Amino acid sequence: MDKMTRKRDRLEVIYDILKIIQDNNNSIKPTPLLRKSNLSSNSYSEYSEELLGKGLIKEILDKKGRKHLTLTDKGFKYLEKYKMIKGFITEFEL
Amino acid sequence: MPLHNFFDPMRFGTELAYTLIILIFCFVIYFRTKVLYDLTKHKGIKYFRYAFLFFGLAYLTRFILHLRLISTISADIPMRLIHLPVLVLTGYFSTMAIFSLVYTNIWKRINAKHFILFSNIVAVLLSIAAFLTRSHMILISLQLVLMICAVILSFAKKTKKLSNVRTLYVLILIFWLFNLFTIGHRRLLPFEVKVIFQLISIIVFLIIHHKVSKWTK
Repeated sequence: MDKMTRKRDRLEVIYDILKIIQDNNNSIKPTPLLRKSNLSSNSYSEYSEELLGKGLIKEILDKKGRKHLTLTDKGFKYLEKYKMIKGFITEFEL
Repeated sequence: MPLHNFFDPMRFGTELAYTLIILIFCFVIYFRTKVLYDLTKHKGIKYFRYAFLFFGLAYLTRFILHLRLISTISADIPMRLIHLPVLVLTGYFSTMAIFSLVYTNIWKRINAKHFILFSNIVAVLLSIAAFLTRSHMILISLQLVLMICAVILSFAKKTKKLSNVRTLYVLILIFWLFNLFTIGHRRLLPFEVKVIFQLISIIVFLIIHHKVSKWTK
């Protein structure tokens, strides 16, 4: 089953959201992020809150006062360690 | 006064070395997986870490219990005083370790809050049973029942095949019960047989440590 048709697990969704932010020069507004992440608005809100709560992303305001989302150091570290995390979880059937 | 006046040096040395090796493996596994848990807050990783933390503590308290067995008469009085509280702690830590290890496999199917509460209640009840009977045999019997239930629960999955990692988990549980059993029955098993079992047990922990190291470089 390819990535587009199977259900993504939680860690994968988080990875995808963080990757989208990183690929947008580490700054993206919530609406395009919602669109690119392929999530429902409810799911997106939950993930967004979770990522903010875990300190993987943070909100910043531009000169016009518009909200942008950006990765924290922890967010970058998550992207860097993602393969390890997935490998570990698969190896130990967690 | 030299230590050999209190303990049989051969048995003491073997037990100390065995406990230290297991303890180091358990704590290294616990601390090496901290980054993965901090980044993800993944429940499976959380309980995997807890399992090894509790096993480390259980092996440590088991060693203290074992000291009484190998102590000479002059050391028996202080050992008798600490026997009961240490037995209670061993009961609690080891039961929590068993539950945590099983939970790593089944957390997706079971409500976490209930499971944590349930495992703590069972761990406390087993500790109370050990306290009231003043014997580790009740712990072995109850943990054996617990282990059988846990293994059945763990393997009641769509894949009934015993994977490598699940085999290791089962071996950890079996070796724990074996080690607990040897506390009170040293005459039933020759010293050499016990050492062989302990060596195999170290190999199991070594394999898990190696697998963990592979993903936490």
